Amino acid sequence: MKIPKVGIIGIGQSHFKAKRQDANYPELVREAVKLAMEDAKIDFDEIEAIVYSLAPDALLGIGNAERLGVDAVSAKNKRFMRINTGGSTGISSLAAAHSHIAAGACDVVLVAGADKVGECGDSQTILNKIWDPTYERALPLGTINMLAMSAVRYMHKYGMTEEDMAQIVVKNRAHSALNPHAHLRELTSVDEVMKSRMISWPIKLFDACPQSSGGCSVILASEKYIKDRGLDAVWITGVGHSTESYYLGDRMGKHFTADHADAHALSEACYKSYKMAGVVDPLKEIDVAELYSPFSNTEFHAIEAAGLAKLGQSPKMLSEGYFKIGGPNPVNPSGGVLCTNAIAVTAMVRVAEVALQVWGRAGAHQVKGAKKGIASGNGGDHQFFGAMVVES
Amino acid sequence: MSNHIQVGVIGSAQVSPANLNQASLEEILNTLTHAALKNAGMTIDDIDGIVVAACDQLDGRAISIMAASGSVGGVGRDILSTPSGSEHAFILGALRVKSGMYKTQLVLSWSPLEVDSISEIQKLSNDPYYHRALPQDDLSTYALQAGVLESEVSGVRESVIKFTQQSREKGRVAYPNISATPVQEVQIRDSKMLRWPITEGMVCEPRFGAVAMVLSNQDWIKDKQIKNPAWIHGMGWATETTYLGDRNLSDMGSLKAAAHQAYHESGISDPKSAFDVVEVSDPTGYQALLSLDGLGLCDSKDWRDAVHSDRFSSKGSLPVNLSGGATSFNPVFCTGLLRLAEAANQVRGCAGAHQKSGVRKSLGHGSSGFAMQYNSVVVFANLPKENQL
Repeated sequence: MKIPKVGIIGIGQSHFKAKRQDANYPELVREAVKLAMEDAKIDFDEIEAIVYSLAPDALLGIGNAERLGVDAVSAKNKRFMRINTGGSTGISSLAAAHSHIAAGACDVVLVAGADKVGECGDSQTILNKIWDPTYERALPLGTINMLAMSAVRYMHKYGMTEEDMAQIVVKNRAHSALNPHAHLRELTSVDEVMKSRMISWPIKLFDACPQSSGGCSVILASEKYIKDRGLDAVWITGVGHSTESYYLGDRMGKHFTADHADAHALSEACYKSYKMAGVVDPLKEIDVAELYSPFSNTEFHAIEAAGLAKLGQSPKMLSEGYFKIGGPNPVNPSGGVLCTNAIAVTAMVRVAEVALQVWGRAGAHQVKGAKKGIASGNGGDHQFFGAMVVES
Repeated sequence: MSNHIQVGVIGSAQVSPANLNQASLEEILNTLTHAALKNAGMTIDDIDGIVVAACDQLDGRAISIMAASGSVGGVGRDILSTPSGSEHAFILGALRVKSGMYKTQLVLSWSPLEVDSISEIQKLSNDPYYHRALPQDDLSTYALQAGVLESEVSGVRESVIKFTQQSREKGRVAYPNISATPVQEVQIRDSKMLRWPITEGMVCEPRFGAVAMVLSNQDWIKDKQIKNPAWIHGMGWATETTYLGDRNLSDMGSLKAAAHQAYHESGISDPKSAFDVVEVSDPTGYQALLSLDGLGLCDSKDWRDAVHSDRFSSKGSLPVNLSGGATSFNPVFCTGLLRLAEAANQVRGCAGAHQKSGVRKSLGHGSSGFAMQYNSVVVFANLPKENQL
C-alpha cells in the first residue's frame, strides 16, 4: 500500500562542543527545541506528540533521564515516548515519529534530545557496559576496539591501509571546517593523523570521533498539515532498519553470521529505505549522504553498504575524490560523526543534515543541486542500523 | 488513528520462571517469543518488526535492548526500544502496523532478573542536584500521591484496603502459584508501614516476569482466518510534567488526556458503561482508584460504595483487574504491558482461570514513572470498527 508522505518542517541543532557547562541537560534539549520551533514557525499548541531521543542513561548519570526532559519539550499532557537503540537512537526516534504520522495518529510530531558525552567522564568505560556481563564485557570490549577489529578485517579482506583511513579524516575535517555546528573543525593532514596517538590499532586518536555535548530537534508533519498551511518542507520518502547479532563472536571466525569487515545489516536498512523511496541505483540517484561513521575505517563500509561503492572499492574512490564536496557522491559534508558525536542525537543530526542539504539550506557545506539524500545511524555494538531517504 | 488500517492483537504469552538460576535472560526471552508466536499461529518469519521495552538500570546493561536482538528474532529485522515504558512498546508496535509499513509486530518487555536494590535504581531517576538526595523512589512517590488522596477523599484508606483485598482474591484465581499475600483486610491494614500511608500489605514484592504480544493488520487476520483477535479501537498516551512539585498528584491530567484520546478514537462517549472488563495500573490500591477516576470509570466520591459492593468483581457492572493486578503479581517495569495483555486476552477469550465470559470490549491502562508520570490507555474489542471495514 501507499505510505502517507511525511515531511520535515523544522530543524534545530546546537553548536556542539566537548562541554556545555553553561547549560544543564534539559536546557540543552530546550536549546535545540527552541531552534526547531523557530525554524518551523509554529506554536507549541500545534505539537501533538513528542518522541524523545535518548541513548544510554549511563552517559548522563540519570536513570530514565527522559523524564527530566518532559518539560524541556513542553510535553505536559501530550503523547510522549522515548526511543533508545544506542547510537542509532536519533534515526530510530525519527522512524518512530514517522510511524505516528503515517498511522494517522498525529499531524505534527516533535523529535528532540541532547547528550553531554563530553562531560560523562569516560564514555568507553560506560559503553563497555553494553556487552553481556558474563561473556564479552570482561575482555574488555569498548566501541573503539570493537571497530578496530572491523578495520583489521577490512584491511585483510580489501587491502585498506592506515593512510586510507587518514584520508577519510582529512576529507571530513575539510567538510566540518565549513559547518558551524560541528565540534572538531580544524583542518588536518594525513601526516598529522598518522602521528596521532594510537588507541587501538589501527585506530588512532584522529581516526576516532570526539565526545560531544549538544542537542538536536526535528519537527515532522503530515502532508495534509504542510499543504493546508503552505509550509516549506522536505520529505522523508524512505525508512529502513535492520539488526545484527548481539555477540561480536558471531561476526568472526569460520562460521560468522555476518562479516565484521562489512556492514551487512546497514546495507539491509539502506536498501529497505531505497525500496520504499523508489531508488533503484543509489550511485546515480543519491546526491548526498550522511553516513554514521564514528571511526574513519567505518566510513568505507558504510559507503559500500549504502550502495555508493562496490565492496572494497571505496578507499580507491576516496583517493579519486568521489566523496568530497564537489565530487560525484559527497559523503558526510557536515564532517560527520567523526567530527561531532553527541550520541543521543548523532543519528538525528545525520537526517537533519541531509534534510538541510536537499532543502538547499546547508550553508557553506552545501552540496550544489542536492535533491535526494540518504542518512544512516548505527547503534549497539554495530548492531542496530537505521536509514532514511530525504528528498526536496 | 484516522487511516483505514485496523490493528488487532492475535497472540500473547507470559513467563515467570520459578527458578531464575536455571535460565539466562536470552533463554527466557527466546522461550517467551516462541510461546507468543505459537499463540498467534506464526513463525518468526512472519514478523516484520519488533518493539522491545526494557530498563537499562534494572537490567544492568547500558543498552538493554541489545541482548534481545538474537533471542527474540531481531537479527535481520527492524527492532526498536521504548525504555520510557513497556506500554509504550505496545503503542509504537500498533502505530507501526497502522502506518501500513508493517503487517505484523512482536512487542515484548521484561522485568529485572537480579537487582540488589530496585529502590536504589529508581532513585537514580531523580535529578542529581535537587531531588536525588531526598531520597525518592517509586514507592515514595506513590505514598506522596496517596497522602494527597488521604487529605482529599474521606474514607479512602478503607476503600484502598478493601480494593487490595479484592485484588488479592482475584490474584489467587488468576495466578494461584505466585499471587501475593496477604488477602485479609486486617493484615493489609495493620502490616508494617513502608511509606505512610502505604503498608507492606498493600504492595506486592517485585517478581520476575516477561510479557509478549503479537499484533497484525486486518488483512493478516482475514487471510489467516484468525478467530479471536482483540481489535484495537483506540489508543491514548500522555505524560505528566517532570517535577512532582509542579503537579497536582490527585488530578491525573495525563491520564485524562490519554483516556480522551482513546475514547475519542473509539467513539466512546460514556466510558462508565462501555467496558465488560478493565485492567488498570495499580502499584497500590490508591493508584488503582485514582486511575479509575482519571479514566472516568468511577469518580472518587463513588469509591467507597464501589468497593463495598460487587461492582469491581467479575459479576459486577465494572469488573476491574480480574488478573489481580500488580498488587498481586508485580513484574516491575513490564506491568504496563501486562495490563494491556490481560485486557486483550479477556477479549480474545484466553485469559485463563480469570476469564470473564462474553467480553466484547475491554480497557487496558499502563503507567510508568514517578507517581504515574506516563499514562497509556488502549481500548480493545472483539469486533473491528464497523465504519472502517
